[in-house]
Amino acid sequence: MVGLKSKNTSDGVQMALLSSRMESIARKMQNTLFRTARSGVLNTAHDFSCVILTADCQLLASAESLPIHVMIGPDLICETIKKYHPDLKRGDAFLHNSPYEGNSHAADHCMVVPIFDDNDKHRFFVLAKAHQADCGNSVPTTYVGHAQDVYDEGALIFTAVKIQDNYKNNDDIIRMCKSRIRVPDQWWGDYLASMGAVRIGEREIEILGTEIGWGQLEKFSSDWFDYSEQRMIQAISKLPSGSIVTSSTHDPFPGVPDGITAKVKIKIDSKNSKIFIDLTDNPDCQPCGLNLTEGTATSAAMIGIFNGIVDHTVPPNAGSFRRIEIKLRENCCTGIPRHPVSCSVATTNLADRVLCPVQVGIAELAEGYGQAETGPIIPAGMGVISGNDPRKENMPFVNQIFLGITGGAGTPVTDGFLTIIHAGNAGLCRQDSIEVDELQYPIHVSKRYVTMDTEGAGKFRGSPSAYCEFGPIDDCSMKVLYTSDGSINPAKGARGGQSGGVAKTFKKDPDGKLTELPNCYGLALEPGEMVASYSAGGGGYGNPKEREIERVFNDYKEGWISKKRAETVYGVLFDKNDQVDFSKTEELRKKF
Amino acid sequence: MRMACDTGGTFTDLIVEDGTELRMFKSSTIPSDPVQGVLNAVGLAAEHYGQSIDTFLKSADTFIHATTRSINAVLTAKTAKTAFFTTLGHKDILLFREGGRIEPFNFSVDFPAPFVPRSLTFEINERVDNRGIVIDELDDGSIETALNQCRENKVEAIGVCLLWSIANPKHELRVGELIRKILPDVPFTLSHQLNPTLREYRRAISACLDASLKPLMFEYLDGLENRLNEAGFHGRVLMVTSQGGIMDAADVARSPIHSLGSGPAMAPIAGEHYAKQATDEKSVIIADTGGTSYDVSLVRDGRIPWTRETWLGQRFRGHMTGFPSVDVKSIGAGGGSIAWVDDGGLLHVGPQSAGSSPGPVCYGAGGLEPTVTDCALALGFIDPAFFLGGAMQLDEIAAKSAIEKNVAQILKISVEEAAEAVLALATEKMVGAIEEITVNQGIDPKSACLIGGGGAAGLNANAVAKRLGCSKAIIPNVGAALSASGALMSDLSSEFGKISFSSGKNFKFDQINSVLSSLTEKCEQFKVGAGSNSIGYKIEYFVEARYPQQIWEIDVPMAGGQLKSADDVKNLMNAFHQVHEGIFEISDPNSDVEFVNWRAKVSCQIRDEIIDNLNMNSSENQKVNVTRPVFFGKKGWQDTKVVSFEHIELNQVIVGPAIVESSFTTVVIEPGSKSFRDEVGSLIIEVLNN
Repeated sequence: MVGLKSKNTSDGVQMALLSSRMESIARKMQNTLFRTARSGVLNTAHDFSCVILTADCQLLASAESLPIHVMIGPDLICETIKKYHPDLKRGDAFLHNSPYEGNSHAADHCMVVPIFDDNDKHRFFVLAKAHQADCGNSVPTTYVGHAQDVYDEGALIFTAVKIQDNYKNNDDIIRMCKSRIRVPDQWWGDYLASMGAVRIGEREIEILGTEIGWGQLEKFSSDWFDYSEQRMIQAISKLPSGSIVTSSTHDPFPGVPDGITAKVKIKIDSKNSKIFIDLTDNPDCQPCGLNLTEGTATSAAMIGIFNGIVDHTVPPNAGSFRRIEIKLRENCCTGIPRHPVSCSVATTNLADRVLCPVQVGIAELAEGYGQAETGPIIPAGMGVISGNDPRKENMPFVNQIFLGITGGAGTPVTDGFLTIIHAGNAGLCRQDSIEVDELQYPIHVSKRYVTMDTEGAGKFRGSPSAYCEFGPIDDCSMKVLYTSDGSINPAKGARGGQSGGVAKTFKKDPDGKLTELPNCYGLALEPGEMVASYSAGGGGYGNPKEREIERVFNDYKEGWISKKRAETVYGVLFDKNDQVDFSKTEELRKKF
Repeated sequence: MRMACDTGGTFTDLIVEDGTELRMFKSSTIPSDPVQGVLNAVGLAAEHYGQSIDTFLKSADTFIHATTRSINAVLTAKTAKTAFFTTLGHKDILLFREGGRIEPFNFSVDFPAPFVPRSLTFEINERVDNRGIVIDELDDGSIETALNQCRENKVEAIGVCLLWSIANPKHELRVGELIRKILPDVPFTLSHQLNPTLREYRRAISACLDASLKPLMFEYLDGLENRLNEAGFHGRVLMVTSQGGIMDAADVARSPIHSLGSGPAMAPIAGEHYAKQATDEKSVIIADTGGTSYDVSLVRDGRIPWTRETWLGQRFRGHMTGFPSVDVKSIGAGGGSIAWVDDGGLLHVGPQSAGSSPGPVCYGAGGLEPTVTDCALALGFIDPAFFLGGAMQLDEIAAKSAIEKNVAQILKISVEEAAEAVLALATEKMVGAIEEITVNQGIDPKSACLIGGGGAAGLNANAVAKRLGCSKAIIPNVGAALSASGALMSDLSSEFGKISFSSGKNFKFDQINSVLSSLTEKCEQFKVGAGSNSIGYKIEYFVEARYPQQIWEIDVPMAGGQLKSADDVKNLMNAFHQVHEGIFEISDPNSDVEFVNWRAKVSCQIRDEIIDNLNMNSSENQKVNVTRPVFFGKKGWQDTKVVSFEHIELNQVIVGPAIVESSFTTVVIEPGSKSFRDEVGSLIIEVLNN
């Protein structure tokens, strides 16, 4: 057992106390943002993150933020702000969303506030990153899959823009936003919510610093990073050393007719407790919105590692990150983009195609570790809807909905977590209430449920697909924009597990006729027409014939799988009373 | 004479209100037959008064009961076999819940099974929209088919939640009619009647929970009433509700979701009362320390807080009740929380708990891992010979050796330092829980006072208050049975609500006033019904409101039961802006306000005055001028005076370090803090703050 070297006795105690205070400050920031935001993507789906960083831009505390938002990115953003504003002072607040200098994608507006001690020494940063309902793109969606470049994408790009000075808004910038972002009042309400969050974080850290002493807080940060690194060393040392190259392929999209295969070289060095990932052997940036950013490419690979090492008690921060090396390349679609490449969809689609092969690679190298692939997104059931609401004097509306998305991957010990949504957000986003959606927007949701036989079979199976069907109400035309990966390349299994169900999208005419739609598309719907969306299922982990018989029986009883699938895929046979026939099952399973 | 009885996981607390004073009795809970535990506690009381149980019970007119029966049934999956009826196309409402997850990298926890399995979920062919307009006509055939399958499956209860039944209940009512006709013996719950709220999952889960508890709670409450009657009681049996009121037991049997979490809901009521006696602070933090959990609530300006987001089990890993209840935040930190050190050398307290079985190491019942209680013993806070008034002898040596092995050796510190660190960390967890509910609501804990309830509260109430910056901590003398004493103070109450949308700028006077009138009428009906023998009543009105496009409403108290003029509406809008700013630091005063849910709460007073002074004179504790060594951090071991709670004179000031003890609790007064008793007998600690 390795303990912390040469630490005095109180450290284990003081560190526990202060880390819990820091986490609770991040949670307070999140609560404020959630409860006060105006758009559904924030106040219902919870698509935002709040974190604390040290003055030298090291990620310190992130509570339950979306991993793809925060593992790497907030640090780069704070560095960018310091670069352009070396004279930071109390009362400043910055708006930043540039994908070229640290951010995830343009739709994630970051609000950043530097925090000072009583002697005006810069001590910390707080950062709130919130996915906007709209960010001024050329089309009403925050994910422009078909954008050839940032001009085609159309997003307003802010690079370390000082939006508050001495706690007062710069109204020039507010007016710019209001005149270019759809449904300006909604944006304004969301802006207030983000600002409330960072200012609450600032107030709380000031109180803590005064109480504990700023020097003490700085010492805590450094001890906490060392502790976290030790925990990571121990976690990695439990894995066997080894190298593997894995890959995952994103479906063909506009601009990339053959899709994009992301190749991932993984090396685990157990002896020195380090994990290396090389993402450089991948195509250059492509003429579409799928390109990753430095933040999302690195974060994606790191999430795969944290999912793979199977020790959730390792704190994810700049300390534990010291044991990970991710190699990126400039002008690479899974690396560092150059202006004016479009990175409109950088948090989800291709990011998941980097993340998943990392967790699969770890699974292949080490039994009992890693995961299968998580279901790819963004199906129409998670698309951005827009139009004018006839119930509210034709007021415009735009928002991303979260109606039916599943996709959890099988793991060494559990079935896929049904409402994971996608690998990068780890299920921390929520699923919409149908009544809330129908109240807020002029839509009618006629169906939402999970579908049979779409789980990636395995000893631990993936989640099945979700189906949902919705359209505009009477007197309303509506657009639905989505970027659905996974209709050709499903989520793969690991260690003998099978692939999850594929994503699909249909237009449903009033007479019930179904027309299959492209996977990256903007659909216009008239009253009576509906869009039918299947999310992708998650891959399975391990051989399905080794799945516990009770779990197979329960899946059958509960309608997750058909009898035929139970028999042919899982090798579980039933008697005439529909109960498991154990002796026949054993006989059959022996044959494999 | 009135009695209140709280059946907890370990103890059954009974408080008897006899003329002008209270008396407290504790008996072990009997999990296999909790009513017997209740009768045993009654037996102890009768014995104290030197009467037979029959004579004793005959002189009582009211018996108020709180129980963990229903929550335990849900947590251990022992509720009735329940079916769920819902709108066609939406069978997975209970499966999806509202999504969400905790601990992003922890994949060792399976996705929770739906509260009602999919195999017992039935789709009804119908659909209503958000305006209440029928889009798809109801097909009776689909109900009949579902009911026939329920019969085949021997279903014992049915929860019904159709989409938008809050906008038009016609279809749910028809489902109810047909259940009554076809399966007359199967109890059911209609979501719009039980819990008229937006968000289908919350209505569905509350309807299913309620239905699933009906057979069990009917039997339990019926058994309780019958056995109390047989034993001689002929008064009124009332139940504590999760909404912090009391209801006739028969009404709770018809709507048993009210009994979920009924115990903790009472602590804030008692806490608020004792705080009012002792201080002028407007905000009161009530912290109830049990063996495994620490329940925190915040009362502001006398208003008991409520929430619709009460989780059974862990957040996002269990089920939300979806039902309005007193907002009590519960964390896994109590006397039984286990202390351990991880492989990076970091000390942890909990979340594992030794519970009541095997319990702390010092109980000598097989526990091997050191707990908070063991640490309190090692520091000299607890007298091993006087735990529960000497009813249980504690093993100090075993406790110390477990701390030595599991904590002190690994951290290379002394046993005392280890024990102190464990208590400090437990204190910090409790402070974190308190801060989450106070600061999140815009309350600075410095301006609040802390009330400590539960047998273990006194161990670190002083430390918690100090850490929060509160100037006062109060341990009521009934603190060890705070919930039960709250039950005796409660009003008979009920709450009614109706969703009706209106914006402030375009206010629908007629529509809203007619909604308010209908709520008033329901309150009046309650008053002449259940509240017919009460001696006074009041109706309070609230509206849940938000800014346009927000989706989480906040509660705004209303001045009265009607809104007559533009000025009335303007005042209500201003009140909303203020409440919003108070909670979230920001408001948007130029914005319109949307009013969503109108609520009225009727409270009927059933006793003329609150009796709040506990008579403790039966105790064997006669400690006068006694001292013992107690470990206080940097000051090390100090010869510390020990005072018995009941022997503190009214004007006597006890300067810390000191230990105040009674048969039910131990209170640590830290060096520098002062303490004294107020007129009702509460111990007030004036905290030394840095």
